[in-house]
Amino acid sequence: MRLPDSVTGSFLVVLGAAAAYGGYILPPVPGQPVGPNVFPLVIGSGLALCGLAIVFGIGHSFEEEEELIPLEDGQAAAPPPQGKLYGLRALLPPALLLFYVAAADRLGFIITAAIMVYVTSTALGAKWKLALPLAALSPFAIHLIFGKLLRVPLPAGLLPTPW
Amino acid sequence: MLKTLLDAFALISTWEVIISMFAASVYGLVIGSLPGLSATMATALLVPVTFYLSPIAAIATIVAASSMAIFSGDIPGALLRIPGTPASAAYADEAYAMTRKGQAELALGAGVWFSAVGGIAGVLSLMILAPPLAEIALSFSTFEYFWLALLGLMCATLVARSSPVKAIAGMFLGLLVSCIGIENPGGVPRFTFGLTDLFGGIEPIPALVGVFAVAQVMRAMLTPEPPPLPRRKFGSIMAGQWRLTKLYHWQMTRGNIVGIIIGVLPGAGADMAAWVSYAMSKRFSKEPEKFGTGHVEGLVEAGASNNASIASGWVPSLLFGIPGDTIAAIAIGVLYMKGLNPGPTLFTEKASSMYAIYLMFIIANIMMIPLGIAMIRVAAYILLAPRSAIMPIIMLCCAVGSFAIGNNMFGVVTVAAFGVIGYVMEANGYPVAAMVLGIVMGTMVEQAFVTSLIKSDGSILPFFERPVAAILAAMAIGALLWPVMVWVWRKVKQPQAAAATSR
Repeated sequence: MRLPDSVTGSFLVVLGAAAAYGGYILPPVPGQPVGPNVFPLVIGSGLALCGLAIVFGIGHSFEEEEELIPLEDGQAAAPPPQGKLYGLRALLPPALLLFYVAAADRLGFIITAAIMVYVTSTALGAKWKLALPLAALSPFAIHLIFGKLLRVPLPAGLLPTPW
Repeated sequence: MLKTLLDAFALISTWEVIISMFAASVYGLVIGSLPGLSATMATALLVPVTFYLSPIAAIATIVAASSMAIFSGDIPGALLRIPGTPASAAYADEAYAMTRKGQAELALGAGVWFSAVGGIAGVLSLMILAPPLAEIALSFSTFEYFWLALLGLMCATLVARSSPVKAIAGMFLGLLVSCIGIENPGGVPRFTFGLTDLFGGIEPIPALVGVFAVAQVMRAMLTPEPPPLPRRKFGSIMAGQWRLTKLYHWQMTRGNIVGIIIGVLPGAGADMAAWVSYAMSKRFSKEPEKFGTGHVEGLVEAGASNNASIASGWVPSLLFGIPGDTIAAIAIGVLYMKGLNPGPTLFTEKASSMYAIYLMFIIANIMMIPLGIAMIRVAAYILLAPRSAIMPIIMLCCAVGSFAIGNNMFGVVTVAAFGVIGYVMEANGYPVAAMVLGIVMGTMVEQAFVTSLIKSDGSILPFFERPVAAILAAMAIGALLWPVMVWVWRKVKQPQAAAATSR
């Protein structure tokens, strides 16, 4: 997901301008010169200016002194299997969270959670021998901690828990 | 004084506090030792649990988990050359070189011992610095708060290890996020796009969980699994540490002081402290040529530094609600929820709670020594757990935890959205810590800004009239102009250098 600076910068210019305009059209507080419109106006203009600076590469010389994420660059950095859709795998976690939002009320916590665990685990390279028991057990453990001990009202759905 | 201290002892000597502190310590040690799971993430995932604890127990869990996680990040750093938390990244190479030389015990022992010493130095700084600063802060008006907040935001962008322009952009993004909702000077729905869920604004905690936890799971999807830890027998871990303390007492003190200073600066946390201290140790060492070959000196200084910054990061958080680092940003959220609203009056009205926080920090750092040694001995077994088993659990905790914050599904949507935002920002060199600071401080900045504008009645002069405000203003404007000056200076210098080489 490494995009050129001109793309991210332009996006910030548009976002900043939109925020400034959005702030500008907010209704003012009667009889007062400053209201809810001032802050977005300032922030939006600042953001747009930063975006412009990024587009023109100002401050770029400060970058890339070190790897940004020095984590997990192990000794044996085997080249991952590259495919066209490989980069899209990163979107799996947020997609699963949205799936949880959509499905948890109908299917219930246990089933939804089991699907999430199974998919995440498999995507990270687990064999079914690990992923299946994990998907079967971990939702109950989490439900025990959050639902039972901390009394978070987790949806029961199709499969209510034994407690 | 004595009575407050006794009250504080009474506050922390309940079973709830003791058990939650112990559990959080173990949790922090485990999360910190797993590569890719940072101390900030450990703290963020802990927040939903703290809802159901008493205020003191809630803070105890955060104090214990964050201190332990920063230390235990050293373990995989020394044994695998993979830092468990970013705070250990600065000296992972050095520690691994020591392991290869057969000095794993010394490296890890130095990690435990100097972390504990650094942590206690950090608490002392908190105890000494906070009360007098609270005295001064009592006389602050909105003008001072405005400049102070601005200075805090600027500090975060200055110390970021990336382009300052991108850091400032990240900060503005965070402030923009904080604009959402009806909690603004006019009480009108702002940037809500007609969605009732957005009326309450974006809660900082789900945003933080998304940025730090979900984004990490997303990165794990694309990176190869770290190799398993080779099993080994350890000799005595604490042997030789006292000798090191005497030999490197000056380095240790310098590390503590640097860590404290960096911790107090808003936005700069343990990882920054470790990098600066390690570089400093190398720069001032009598034997700099030994660095990188398994020399313990840098480990002593950086290990003492990163833990010192954890406690001192609470100084601006408790006094002004300006987080000293990302962990303190989470702590502020918890403080607000528990009715311990940050501010100078906290030190007069809730003095016993403050003393309880000091005591818990000291206890956590003392507990770190036995628990840390135990952790080093069992680390080989914990690190056997494959990533494909840990990340799914983290995902579940993100979903359930963010739901638990407000008992509505919108929290989960927020987490997912901020996971994507955090991932894209990190991948493109925008520091997420700056955005987090913007989100946490946004409401406060706006309030101070708008109230000051109303009071000054259109004039700019009152912003500079009070002496403290003038000093803070000068510092903030200086910080704002600093990157510009460096940039201009480099531009001027470059042609000269080119001319010099061509001659």
